[in-house]
Amino acid sequence: MTASSSPPTGGLLGLSDDALTSCVFCGLCLAHCPTYRVTGDERRSPRGRIALMRAADAGTTVRDAEWHESMDTCLLCLGCQVACPSAVPFNELMHDTRAAVAGVRGVPLWLRLGFAVLVRPRLLRGTSRVLALLQRLRLIPGRFPLPRRLPLRDARSRGRTVGDVVLFTGCVMDAWQPEVHAAVEEVLEACGTTVRRSGDAAGCCGAMHSHAGLEDAARSLAERVMAAIPADVPVLVDSAGCGAALRDYGSLLGTPEAAAFSDRVRDVHEWLAADIERMPAATVGERSTVVVQDPCHLRHAQGKHASVRSVLAPYAETVELDDDGLCCGAGGAFSVLQPGLSAAVRSRKTASIRRAMATTDAVVVVSANPGCAIHLATAGHVVRHPLEVVAERIRGTQEDAHGR
Amino acid sequence: MPSDGSVVISTTRMNRILEVDVERRIAWVEPGVINLELTRHLAGTGLHFAPDPSSQSACTIGGNVGTNAGGPHCLLYGVTSVHVAAVEVVLPDGDVVVLGEEEGDAVGYDLRGAFVGGEGTLGIATRIAVRLTPDPPDVRTMLLDFMTIEEAADTVSAVIAAGMVPSALELMDQQVVQAVEPFANAGYSLDAAAVLIVELDGLPAGVAQEAEAVELLALQNGARSVRVAADEEERARIWKGRKAAFGAIATIKPAYYLHDTVIPRTRLAEVISGVNAIAERHGLIGMNVFHAGDGNLHPLLVFDDREPGIMDHVYAAGEEIVRLSLEVGGVLSGEHGIGLEKRRFMPLLFSPEDLAAQRLLRDAFDPEGVSNPDKVLPDGPSCGEIQDLPEVPEGTWV
Repeated sequence: MTASSSPPTGGLLGLSDDALTSCVFCGLCLAHCPTYRVTGDERRSPRGRIALMRAADAGTTVRDAEWHESMDTCLLCLGCQVACPSAVPFNELMHDTRAAVAGVRGVPLWLRLGFAVLVRPRLLRGTSRVLALLQRLRLIPGRFPLPRRLPLRDARSRGRTVGDVVLFTGCVMDAWQPEVHAAVEEVLEACGTTVRRSGDAAGCCGAMHSHAGLEDAARSLAERVMAAIPADVPVLVDSAGCGAALRDYGSLLGTPEAAAFSDRVRDVHEWLAADIERMPAATVGERSTVVVQDPCHLRHAQGKHASVRSVLAPYAETVELDDDGLCCGAGGAFSVLQPGLSAAVRSRKTASIRRAMATTDAVVVVSANPGCAIHLATAGHVVRHPLEVVAERIRGTQEDAHGR
Repeated sequence: MPSDGSVVISTTRMNRILEVDVERRIAWVEPGVINLELTRHLAGTGLHFAPDPSSQSACTIGGNVGTNAGGPHCLLYGVTSVHVAAVEVVLPDGDVVVLGEEEGDAVGYDLRGAFVGGEGTLGIATRIAVRLTPDPPDVRTMLLDFMTIEEAADTVSAVIAAGMVPSALELMDQQVVQAVEPFANAGYSLDAAAVLIVELDGLPAGVAQEAEAVELLALQNGARSVRVAADEEERARIWKGRKAAFGAIATIKPAYYLHDTVIPRTRLAEVISGVNAIAERHGLIGMNVFHAGDGNLHPLLVFDDREPGIMDHVYAAGEEIVRLSLEVGGVLSGEHGIGLEKRRFMPLLFSPEDLAAQRLLRDAFDPEGVSNPDKVLPDGPSCGEIQDLPEVPEGTWV
């Protein structure tokens, strides 16, 4: 996000002057900010954060603990950016601010260690196996932001080395929710599309590094992903957060190659919805009703949330939430970094989910992002990936409850 | 904007909807409830909260009560005061009282009526009983465009003169339309000098008849095209653009100063060209988006606040706009209130006797003057300013 649309001010944070002054403080973003909604505190709102960025950039305020708290508590859900009539580039402003802060204040050691695990697929899988074992032994409390049942072994894959498309498998999702990739692969293959997985060579997309202001790390991960996926085929992503990150490589790296790569990236639902006719008819199971939760990085960052409904339509009834796409509070590492605020934001989402379930017979929530899925599952919801629901209806046999 | 040494009490977090009585069409809410959230909450009941300021997705009911807020649909449904049955108030001395009644008129003087629009100078609202309005059986939203502002303004006058009261009559000038259309995709004509939104509601037969009459009047007065929203989605987009207009200003310049005066409807065109001339004289951009139906202007002065000395021009232009509005027989504020900004203009509109009478009301609620000090009434340090101001102009109505 440092490849800003305009030159920096020469201010203390090095933010873009045009970006900073593109906010007229009208307040139309406030209702779309999850942290403002639960705190009622201007400093937890996009408008307040931009005012504080301006003041810090101009040197008229001290960057004290409260200033940092204001920036650290942003979920980067981008609900504000979509709601803004003046198109304030809030994503760019917050990323640049975090990068400037990380350069001065640094990033806590334990967080850097966590990120170091993310980018080492074998280490991540090994750690996950240990966690899975501890979970079976009931040594990990249920409130921990982990899937309900971490896998003890890899899910099956056809293991193709060439394919019509590349499925981006990422880091945490590959280790923690392999059944989702398996379901996605199954649906794609059933549509007559051969799938090659990006696998360990591509690894982590770098979204969380970028959110934390570790721009150099994010850039080198982006380079690694691009190098591991050279073929000129569509890159499909089943995790909204990773999809948004991959789509952002063009501006992150600022090269024509990166822009061309970003152009090849599609959310898997978007890709399927573009030619819905090729999806096979439902052959098994009942047509159930599911509550659709839109991950912010699908709805606000990518604007592709409508495709989830199109793809589900032949297989399930969908119920909408009444909260106008407000974030669930997961926010990548946010649920670990800001557990109290994250849970408060989630309680609004769970209330909305309960209202949706009260008027229908839905018991399952679908979410196209692993972070949201884990976060909502920790609050007691049954959460599936939309394509898991589809896969079950075209499979022939019901999948067991593995990993739910 | 607190005055020196004062403490700010924010009720933003008092955001619960306490009780909705669909049968009696009353809801008790806390002041921090967002206006649009209440209407969303009422979905499916066939009721809504009628006051709908452009900022309704962000503003709170407590704020609506404080300023007696309006909104596009108050042309037909009336401003906030009409929709507030009762208010629980913490008075400046700490007493808690309920002003007004859930049903019928309050016995004795209407202190609720005095409190609504009191801008926090009479106490703090802690619970509000709002009246809920039935959703209209039929709604028709029309989008008209004109090659001159005069034609649009004449159409507004003609519609009202014909005895119709649309639920909303909103005008946007070309610059506003060009700023907001890319965001809203509302289908506003970018080359028109003015776009007029006319909304009619009521029983289907009546709405259809009125829509025909409006179309005829618009075409007679020079409308270039008349479009009727085909469905709810198209209607929502037309309103999204209108309600996001202020927020889109940064696409032109980084700052705006929003005014709020009311003028006689028949003088819309002349005042708008006057406003634009004032802005131009001060090196500012004048833009207009407003509630044309009730003559409530919202001139925007648009500028770059990084330009040295620009604020002097903004304030000077603002004062000229206020004076122009009063000269044609208008008033200081339609719905945004007086606050700190306009209290120095109060003597332009009210005689010393009027102001003294208002002061007595305020003193009755707040004898020590602790609640939102230095707002609304020109007193204390600004006494000198009052003496400097000229007489109330001819033809002013209150």
